[in-house]
Amino acid sequence: MSKKSDKAKALSKKAQEKQKNILEMLKTHGAKIYDDLDNGQFPKFSIPSRSVNNIVYDKKIRQYILGNATSLRSSKNTSQLRSFTQLMWLAFFANRLTQEKKSSTLRDIYYSSQAFAIDFEDQAESDNIIVDLEAVTSRPREDFHIFPEERSSIFGDLNIEYTIPGYEGKSMNLSNHPDGYAIGPSLTTAELVDTSAEIVIAIEKGGLFTRFVEEQVDKKFKSIIINTGGQAPRSTRTLLKRLHDEMKLPIIILTDGDVYGEHIAMVIKSGSANAAHLRELTVPDAKWVGVWATDIEKYKLPTIPMTESDVKRCYDLQKDPRYQDGIWKKELDVFLRIKRKAELEAFSKYGLTNITDKYLPQKLELAKSL
Amino acid sequence: MSTIKEKFNQISPSEFFYRNRDMAGFSNPTRSLYTAVREFVENGLDACDQKGILPDIHLSIKAVDPEKPDPKQYILTVKDNGPGIESKHVPLAFGTVLYGSKFGLKQARGMFGLGATMAILYGQITTNKPVTVKSSTDGKTSDEYELLLDIQKNKPVILKHKTKDVSKQGLSVSICLEGDYSKAGSKIRDYVSQTSLITPYASITFDDPKGEKYHYSRMIKTMPKPPTIIRPHPYGIDVETIRRMMIESQFEIPTIDDKMIEKVRKDLGLSKKNLGFTAIMAKAKKKWKNLSRQVRVVIALMSFLKMDFDKLSKIRIEDLDVPNKQLVYWDFGDSTSKTIDMDPESQYYRQLTNTVQGETLTAFLTKRFQRVGPTTAVKFAQFAGFKPEKRMGTMTNVELAKLSDSLQKFDDFMTPDPSCLAPLGEEPLEKGIRKFFNPDFLTVIQRTASAYSGFPFVIEMGIAYGGDITSRGIKVYRFANRIPLLYDEGSDVVLKVINDIDWSRYKAKGDPPLVIVSHICSTRIPYKTAGKENVADRQEIEKELRLTIQFLARKLSVFMNKRGQAEAARKRANLYAKYVPLIAQFCTELAGKKKEPQYQKILQEEKPIENE
Repeated sequence: MSKKSDKAKALSKKAQEKQKNILEMLKTHGAKIYDDLDNGQFPKFSIPSRSVNNIVYDKKIRQYILGNATSLRSSKNTSQLRSFTQLMWLAFFANRLTQEKKSSTLRDIYYSSQAFAIDFEDQAESDNIIVDLEAVTSRPREDFHIFPEERSSIFGDLNIEYTIPGYEGKSMNLSNHPDGYAIGPSLTTAELVDTSAEIVIAIEKGGLFTRFVEEQVDKKFKSIIINTGGQAPRSTRTLLKRLHDEMKLPIIILTDGDVYGEHIAMVIKSGSANAAHLRELTVPDAKWVGVWATDIEKYKLPTIPMTESDVKRCYDLQKDPRYQDGIWKKELDVFLRIKRKAELEAFSKYGLTNITDKYLPQKLELAKSL
Repeated sequence: MSTIKEKFNQISPSEFFYRNRDMAGFSNPTRSLYTAVREFVENGLDACDQKGILPDIHLSIKAVDPEKPDPKQYILTVKDNGPGIESKHVPLAFGTVLYGSKFGLKQARGMFGLGATMAILYGQITTNKPVTVKSSTDGKTSDEYELLLDIQKNKPVILKHKTKDVSKQGLSVSICLEGDYSKAGSKIRDYVSQTSLITPYASITFDDPKGEKYHYSRMIKTMPKPPTIIRPHPYGIDVETIRRMMIESQFEIPTIDDKMIEKVRKDLGLSKKNLGFTAIMAKAKKKWKNLSRQVRVVIALMSFLKMDFDKLSKIRIEDLDVPNKQLVYWDFGDSTSKTIDMDPESQYYRQLTNTVQGETLTAFLTKRFQRVGPTTAVKFAQFAGFKPEKRMGTMTNVELAKLSDSLQKFDDFMTPDPSCLAPLGEEPLEKGIRKFFNPDFLTVIQRTASAYSGFPFVIEMGIAYGGDITSRGIKVYRFANRIPLLYDEGSDVVLKVINDIDWSRYKAKGDPPLVIVSHICSTRIPYKTAGKENVADRQEIEKELRLTIQFLARKLSVFMNKRGQAEAARKRANLYAKYVPLIAQFCTELAGKKKEPQYQKILQEEKPIENE
């Protein structure tokens, strides 16, 4: 009992430390703006450029990063004045959220702005300002308690302890509820205590996630199952990274057998160009195990023809430095050759459990050699 | 054999106009009331213009029975302070059709004063009431007439005539006519208002049937230079006109009566002396240079008749037969007709033939047309394939047609003389527009004269922006020879040119509050229809209009640019005023301060500099 309490204290202290750092950083930024105004100057700051020209691939850390180019944001420039003010408001709002340990969704941000006469035209505009804040501070929005709507979930034998206000020290086993647990701020920030699992299986689709739970893939293969819900959200990627780094679990990824599936795996592995301003979101060791283009032929899966945009996407990705070698290049080439794609559900042709009984074991075996 | 008795009915001009009143704008009570107002007001203004009098026009329309619904009878009175009309001319001027004094080639609002008579005629037809005319030419006495028009005979019928003492010179015409003011009212008010805009030197009042009083006071006290009457330009002259001009250029052989003989004797200095034929000829030769053309002709005749003055008084010249080189005369002495041959080598022969054959082509051109000098005339003769010394009297019909044709085709005639035009002038135009619209921006231009088909024209135009102009989009006020054009706007060349212009190029985007005042002056405005409300798109006029509008639009765009800069500065200041306090508020909390920073300094600096 006392041990647990100590741990909770430690956790709380860690969270407080992080909060303090963030508040300190925001204060520094705010003070600079304050001084500029007080000195009769239009406040300005530089921000890493997020233009396409400044997004480069870093081979060392195996992800896209921003280059050295910066752009100046000045409140004197009337075309920037509005977004400047919006960013100031966001920092101000993030500061309150962090201080009060409240979390907010992207949509919340958009609506909250209206109370301060900050006229975001739509959520896209406010989302963009949030990315600005991330770029200026080099921190993900989650650090400021700003989260996207959740659509991904997790299931498996994993014990966690919450760190969020009101739940500090409370623990939970993530295999207690068969529908899985939504991956949100409380889970992402929770302490990962222990697990019996030996692998994490990230799967693109909710339907297959449910199947995997039903078929007790977690027990059969000693795994934690994560539904990414398509392109994995940041919080999910953060959690994947933590599971890999803190629990030393290997990550494998199962997607549809098409070019988009391949890229979902790639983003988990090495990030997206959209988040090039952020680090700590990637799991470079994650492995994409299927469905590969070669699997389509190998397993004689029912296919559908690729659309024009599928083909175009293939050609686009061929230019991406990450697709220049290994299975990434190979599978992309095969997709382009066969011009057909197959969904994960395609295995149902050979029985509903075919994917868990036959395909998954083979792939898990294969993953060890990747 | 039976004879069919044919009866030809001749109709008088009055009857003709009565039957064709639609053409003159008297088609219905609405249009008629409007047209009548126009005709009388324009007559008054023209009369004052011609005498250089600053016009005072009083227009009044009163319903005979205000309770009646429209259309009903109205009494229309227009009073001016012009020169008036001499008493003896009043009945003819107002009681017959086709009596007028506005002839000649110069710009005037209307022609021949015909319209006013039409209005009187219309009034009489619809109400059977006489016209009342009060005219004072000296400002002391006024002749007052009540007249009816005898339509069949085209003669005035004087019902009343009296003379009264007055204190002001001028003319007042009052008619009773069927009209519809409820429908025509807005057009009439527009007409009066726009007339005062284009006649800023006039004072115009209008008492309308509803008891409203509209007063447009005089904005300037100087009158534009009156136009002068000039010779025609070669362009636009047809064969018939040339034929008429040619006849004027020929001379009759003078009648040799005692009076003429006396004149010749006197001019030769022989009043007291009786010289013989040879001596007379010798004397004439000496004095030739100083002799008038008439006297020369008589001497030339004498040279062939070989007669002295005494004999000359006893004959009469019957014919000068140029083709047969013969002179035929009647001898009173023996009552016979005698013929003598003329020596074509004689210098006197030349004198005679020139007289009957008229001027040479070059003389004809230089003397009868404006702006044709001897050099141009000779050049033209070559162009047309005539000898420059070709006598006008010897031209055949075919040659005349060729001449007229060539006149239209010859490129080297100078542009028509615009002195017959009376544009308003830039300053009066500008003052008028400024008084009317009090605009933020105004610029006017009077172009140099140009010509279409031999008719000179001048375009003057103004463009105004903002101020009291509340309408959105471009509002165009069209004038021709100082008359507002109110109807048929759509098909007018001015509108066409304005609509063709890409106004966004001149920074006038969207629906700017713009007013364009366009005035075309010409000896003949090319109206599209008989209603005289829209100007046809003659190429030359269209081109001039385009240049005029482009010139004005360029000036407008300079203004709009400056205004745009001021606006941008204002906008910028507004943005700062909106956002900087917010930034201050947010960073204060972020920085953990209590007091907001002193941001007012930068707001002060960014206040726009007002330069207007």
